[in-house]
Amino acid sequence: MMVDEPRIDEGGTSSGNLQLMSRSTYFKETALKNIFLLCAFVAVMGVALIFLFVGWRGWPLMADIGLGSFLGGAEWNPTSALYGILPLIWGSVVVMAGALALGTPLAVGTAIFLSEIATPRVRSIVRPAVELLAGIPSVIFGFFGLIVLRPLIANATGGLGFGAVTAWFILAIMIVPTIATLTEDALNSIPPGIREASYAMGATPWQTIYKVLVPAAKIGILDAIILGMGRAIGETMAVLMVVGNAPVFPQGVTVPLSTLTSQIVMDMPYAAGDHRTALFGMAIVLFVVSMGLVALVRLIARFQTSMDRGR
Amino acid sequence: MNKNLTNSLAMAFLWIAAGTTVAVLFAVIAYVVVNGIMVITPEFIFTWPEGVNAEGGVWPTIVSTLYVTGLAMLIVTPIAILAAVYLAEYAVQGRLVNIIRFAADSLASVPSIVMGLFGLALFVETMGIGFSMLSAALALSFLMLPIVMRTTEEAIRSVPKYIRWGAYGLGASKWQTVSRSVLPAATPRIVTGIILATGRAVGETAVVIYTMGQAINLPLTPFDSGRPMTVHLYLLAMDGINLPAAYGTALLLMIMILAFNLGARYFLRRNRKV
Amino acid sequence: MSERRSVILMVLSLVLTLTVIPLSGCNAGARAANELVVTGSTTILPIAEIAGEMFTDDNPENKVLVSGLGSSAGIETVSRGSSDIGTASRDLKEEEMELGLYDTPLAYDAIAVIVHPSNPIDDLTKEQVRLIFNGTYTNWSELGGNDVRIGLVNRDEASGTREAFYKIAMEKSPFDRTAAVLPGTGQVRSVVAQAEGAVGYISLGFVNNEVKSISVDGIEASAETVVDGTYPISRLLHFFTPGEPTGLAKEYIDFVLSDEIQNGIVIDAGFTPISAGEDR
Repeated sequence: MMVDEPRIDEGGTSSGNLQLMSRSTYFKETALKNIFLLCAFVAVMGVALIFLFVGWRGWPLMADIGLGSFLGGAEWNPTSALYGILPLIWGSVVVMAGALALGTPLAVGTAIFLSEIATPRVRSIVRPAVELLAGIPSVIFGFFGLIVLRPLIANATGGLGFGAVTAWFILAIMIVPTIATLTEDALNSIPPGIREASYAMGATPWQTIYKVLVPAAKIGILDAIILGMGRAIGETMAVLMVVGNAPVFPQGVTVPLSTLTSQIVMDMPYAAGDHRTALFGMAIVLFVVSMGLVALVRLIARFQTSMDRGR
Repeated sequence: MNKNLTNSLAMAFLWIAAGTTVAVLFAVIAYVVVNGIMVITPEFIFTWPEGVNAEGGVWPTIVSTLYVTGLAMLIVTPIAILAAVYLAEYAVQGRLVNIIRFAADSLASVPSIVMGLFGLALFVETMGIGFSMLSAALALSFLMLPIVMRTTEEAIRSVPKYIRWGAYGLGASKWQTVSRSVLPAATPRIVTGIILATGRAVGETAVVIYTMGQAINLPLTPFDSGRPMTVHLYLLAMDGINLPAAYGTALLLMIMILAFNLGARYFLRRNRKV
Repeated sequence: MSERRSVILMVLSLVLTLTVIPLSGCNAGARAANELVVTGSTTILPIAEIAGEMFTDDNPENKVLVSGLGSSAGIETVSRGSSDIGTASRDLKEEEMELGLYDTPLAYDAIAVIVHPSNPIDDLTKEQVRLIFNGTYTNWSELGGNDVRIGLVNRDEASGTREAFYKIAMEKSPFDRTAAVLPGTGQVRSVVAQAEGAVGYISLGFVNNEVKSISVDGIEASAETVVDGTYPISRLLHFFTPGEPTGLAKEYIDFVLSDEIQNGIVIDAGFTPISAGEDR
């Protein structure tokens, strides 16, 4: 932290330091510091409260039927009191996987383009474009998917146009800014000297990118992808509007399916009793998954720092 | 394969990637603009929705959006700035700071539906505030908190050390230094961060549906409810009957967010002294 | 050392916050005396809203707040007391009968089965409709139509339209669970209008020339066939109140039942006035 800041003594210790301030200032300073700490702690309180309130609402059902049959149950049929969310988990995974498959090359390609290839003029168009893309609300993407993409896919496949494919396209473009920004940051933090060394050895730009830069930025790119995953799994409105909401295992990619997020929104207006509890249970599952991904990113970062230090 | 050929192919791919990203952005924006521009008249902006399918205008939704995000901004700003002050100036690298940062990152990646249900469970039901601007603003501030914390912390850290040294050299206490030298120097970036976070809040849908309800209303007090533009757009789109109004709402929403984004950027450029 | 002290302080503050929160439950649930809360069916929503506005125009000191979350939600909120009137486009289920709700029907409605305009099929039997929606038929060619996959479009479970269709057309046999589930009448209509193999069901009042309404058992869906009972898939639209309506609720309901509204917006919305079928 601030290593070269003159240490203003926290007065009163027995080490005999020179007291540079009066007692009242000391108390005031400590009180202020604790107030700031309290504010910083609000974030922690937030997470705790979310666990507490959402978890408390969702727990009874999971305790009742057991975590195994909740998470692993293959049939979601609240009218018959069946609360197995496996089809929904599967739907979330399918939707996320396809979005990542489509979005990652697009995002990483764009990031590499921005960091290595673009002239300043081109960069001044593309980078704001990516930022703007990040700012478009998910309802608008969902709206676009519903009104524009769905009929196109319906005509192309002869179905209704709701399904995994539609969700993949919409979600892919939504996670591009997340992945691209982080990847670009990672690439930008590689010292220019490395590139120059590579060119000096006669490498083409692509060889430099492929063999030198991407491996060097590998951790940052991994982080970016994991956060993109989190965004894809947690996306609600856009997915809801294009996925078709059939809470079963989809028998194809152009048939309706459902995800954890979309199912909650569909059912919430009328769910009661156990059904409502199950929805809160699904919310906690989502929260745990997203926190898990964050933890993964932090773990990887810590792993890398310790590896760097050991070198 | 010849390395230059590979290079050319790869370059082509990269150009296509970047081009596709820009093209899709352009397509979405163009689609909304082209279909919505006809609908945007002064009547549309300033009158109420009326009739069976929300014909008429969207005025109360505009007010609701601005009201709730403004309220959220008021709630989150002091807490986030002070929190960032702690992280940037006082914190010692250790378990406590790690926990705080992990919590902030987790809040930043919470799925919006989870935040919505949380707001419903805590603010609307348990605390009894009911469907209101306040409940929604509180939920939104949890969403905005990590963003403003991070940008403010970066802003504070980017203040050059010599500004602090000057203050300490004159005998200032830590708080005096922070409040009178560091924070003012960091203000442009801090404000930019707040504006960007507010822009994000403007686009939220799931969070506000569960904390504010969906009844169309002109909010006067924080305990009133209302319907923000995002929810209005969602309902119009799902209903599928009054698409022109949906396009108009979408366009207004995008204009508002664009204004926030550009405003933040412009503010930063104007005020950058460092 | 100082960090540990900070941690203790923070844990204490967390505990404090958590104990304070449940105690702070202040009740903001009271409604103003001149406010009428009407919730329920999305089918009835348009009429309820316009009538509400006209009602307020006549009596400016009153306010009518209308929202549409589904017939089930409407019935639940009115029986819980969170709303004054619950609207529903279906009859009460058995378990709802003992809620003590008073029923004031406001209109008749037919549920039309709609397909894409290019679909050559014009008529289906009620049984065929049932077998389509429970997934037995999967291709239009099985019914004499084109070789196109049947795209089922269902409504969400909060929908009174769905419930009514389930009771009358499906005779309570389950819907095909792989059907798309859409939360709005308008959406069902736009999807069916744009997908060749799609089939769905919406209130007659919402049928327009983007979709084709099929006749069932040879009878076309129309105002006349609803009232004389020949069209097989029809229902009543209800206002539910906790007991006989009184006060503001009664004024509003009477207003909606008045000739001005019944022969005006009710017909405009495509429903059939309740008075037309007095002897039904």
